[in-house]
Amino acid sequence: MLERIHKQGRRLVTAAGLALAVAIGGTAAAQGESKEPIVFGGSIPLTGVFAFAGIHIHAGLSDYVDWINSQGGINGRPVQYVMEDTGYLVDRSVATYKKLSGRHRICCYYGDSTGFMQAIAADLNNAKNMIMSGASFATALTRVDKHPFQFIPGPSYSQMFAIILEYIAAEANKEGKKATVAFVYSDTEFGRDPIESSRAYARNLGIDVVEEIMTKPGSVDVSAEVIKLRRKRPDYVIFHGYVLSPINEFMVQMRQMGLNTKFMGTFWTMDRLIIDKMGKDADGFMGVMPYNYFGEDEDGPMYRVMHEQARKSDPNQAYRPTPYVQGWFNAMVWTEVVKRTLDAGKPLTGENLKEALDSIKDWDTGGIIGVPVTVKDNSFPVGRIYRVNAAAGRFEPVSDWIHLD
Amino acid sequence: MRIGDAKQSYAADEALWTSTTQQVWFGLLLLSLLLFPFFASPYLLYLACLVGIAVISATGLNILTGFTGLISLGQAGFMGVGGYTVAWLSLHTSLPFPIALLAAGLLSAAIGMVIGLPSLRIKGLYLAIATLAASVFLHFVFVEWASVTGGMAGLSLRSAQLFGLTFHNDFRMYFMIMPLAVLMLLAARNIFRTRIGRAFIAIRDRDISAEILGIPLLRYKLLSFALSSFYAGVAGGLFAYFYRVVTPESFPLSMSIFYLAAIIVGGMGSILGGVLGAIFMTLVPEGLKLLTTAITPIYPQAPVFMSPLLGVVFGVLIVGFLIFEPNGLAEVWRRIRRFFHLWPFRT
Repeated sequence: MLERIHKQGRRLVTAAGLALAVAIGGTAAAQGESKEPIVFGGSIPLTGVFAFAGIHIHAGLSDYVDWINSQGGINGRPVQYVMEDTGYLVDRSVATYKKLSGRHRICCYYGDSTGFMQAIAADLNNAKNMIMSGASFATALTRVDKHPFQFIPGPSYSQMFAIILEYIAAEANKEGKKATVAFVYSDTEFGRDPIESSRAYARNLGIDVVEEIMTKPGSVDVSAEVIKLRRKRPDYVIFHGYVLSPINEFMVQMRQMGLNTKFMGTFWTMDRLIIDKMGKDADGFMGVMPYNYFGEDEDGPMYRVMHEQARKSDPNQAYRPTPYVQGWFNAMVWTEVVKRTLDAGKPLTGENLKEALDSIKDWDTGGIIGVPVTVKDNSFPVGRIYRVNAAAGRFEPVSDWIHLD
Repeated sequence: MRIGDAKQSYAADEALWTSTTQQVWFGLLLLSLLLFPFFASPYLLYLACLVGIAVISATGLNILTGFTGLISLGQAGFMGVGGYTVAWLSLHTSLPFPIALLAAGLLSAAIGMVIGLPSLRIKGLYLAIATLAASVFLHFVFVEWASVTGGMAGLSLRSAQLFGLTFHNDFRMYFMIMPLAVLMLLAARNIFRTRIGRAFIAIRDRDISAEILGIPLLRYKLLSFALSSFYAGVAGGLFAYFYRVVTPESFPLSMSIFYLAAIIVGGMGSILGGVLGAIFMTLVPEGLKLLTTAITPIYPQAPVFMSPLLGVVFGVLIVGFLIFEPNGLAEVWRRIRRFFHLWPFRT
């Protein structure tokens, strides 16, 4: 009863607003688009601790939308991208979501954090009106029962670890020995995310996890932890839950001790920042990346389009960091999902969009990812191992694409 | 124009409302709060719920810091205790929300009293650090006591329930949060009409004098911590019901600083100050974003350069208030009221 009054009240306000618009001569609504736009929305962290990635994610999403509109939109319907800055704060991300979804009929949404994705899941499951992906690679999102309308535009953190461990196991096999690894991770939800599942995964592959070290994110003094690692002498150290620090400290100190350990990381570490900050000390650092790097010799129609569009939008930036590619790929997946739904003659509801997402099988991404990809458990479990060539200032692939089954 | 404010009895001096005009305005405020959700957009409803939670927590901190003079950086930790209590009760029992919230408040109050013990020996910055340590300790418990708190992944709640009614959306949550916020504000206002509240103020003004006057510091300081934490616990419980998920990162240290900033900007030692501060800190960043929204159609890149700028503007606004009105927004409000009371004459 009360909710009916609420709806009628809202209609009254909307009607009053429309009347006002007409009264002041606003003819925009009357002259509006003949075809309803398809709206992509986003809670984007342009400020705050995640702004280093947020501005590039925003650029990737904007550039893709500009490009798709230049191609006539999706099935002839224009695409609109609406966003607001969140400062990487969950309450402001939710506020942005409520604001934008109240004003536009959004079908695909970019969430800026795992906290946001969790906070909004219940709302999303009730509303069933859109699908959502974003900056979160949290393993929790692969639980289809709890997050039916959310997905990860790449592998989850657990899957990233699995890809790294598959690579390590294959390398150890070649050498005919058993590999040993150490996990070093930050004391955050982000850091702890893949550790438990990766322990079991390593065991199944016959890899010994000889040490697990948890640090504060951004720690500087890690000498005690380095001594622990020196005792265990792991073949590989896998870092997770950091952007850079304290990875640089670990690498420099362990190398000074004469250890020939190989160092590896996950998505947010695997950008040129580590080369820019560490210089030649970054040489040999490895890790997993689900997308082809920007500005490489890769081929593919979409890979070329991305470069042309990036040049067009900002000719001064020769390189675009990985969050740009991630933003671009997000919008690509949304477009594919919307297109599949429209082609099937279905309305853009959360359930139909999700059905379209789940139908993605052996999808050619046009060179953004080097192999055809398949959606599994709300994610794209694919990646390739890269290594830093500090002299060339770039990441070079050292493995084939690994698609987890 | 109001020409006098003579009080002829102690009862009149203690009265919540000093004039009929006040009662009428308060009635109108209640009426508009009641009608608001029927006309508000989902976005405004969400913000109203957020403000309601912030008002409860800020009022709690104001009791402790503003009225009793005990600075605390543990507010987020106490909110966390409330949030986790509600989450745990929601998952393991089918208690209606008022009982779960009461339990959240009481458990937070109990923990608040333990954490308040050092306040008998230390005050000022030292107490701030002690409460900060407590906050870190509580965060550690949230992370490590995984069998109860769900560890780093936290807990997902079921919606709040009462007599078969489920509070699963913001519209319904509003009718849970707002009445509670009004009730708790009235309760806080009343506390300061009693011996307890006056004892708090006496302790704030000079604790040694208060003790000489016969106020047992142990009892009243701990009571202040308990009351403040009770408010934080209820706010944390509402926060948990509102987002239906709690993780250790839901209650960061920055949240404690947010509430401290809210009562400083609003006006310490004034119930209205806590309310205005919570509204200011929650709504101004959102309001500033309207500027970006207005410019974006003309210049699509506006969000990229405007967003950091708005952070600076928000900071400057806070510093500006501290410099030009150290008594906070409550004093600004009082000045505006005085202007209208004395109109057409000037003060």
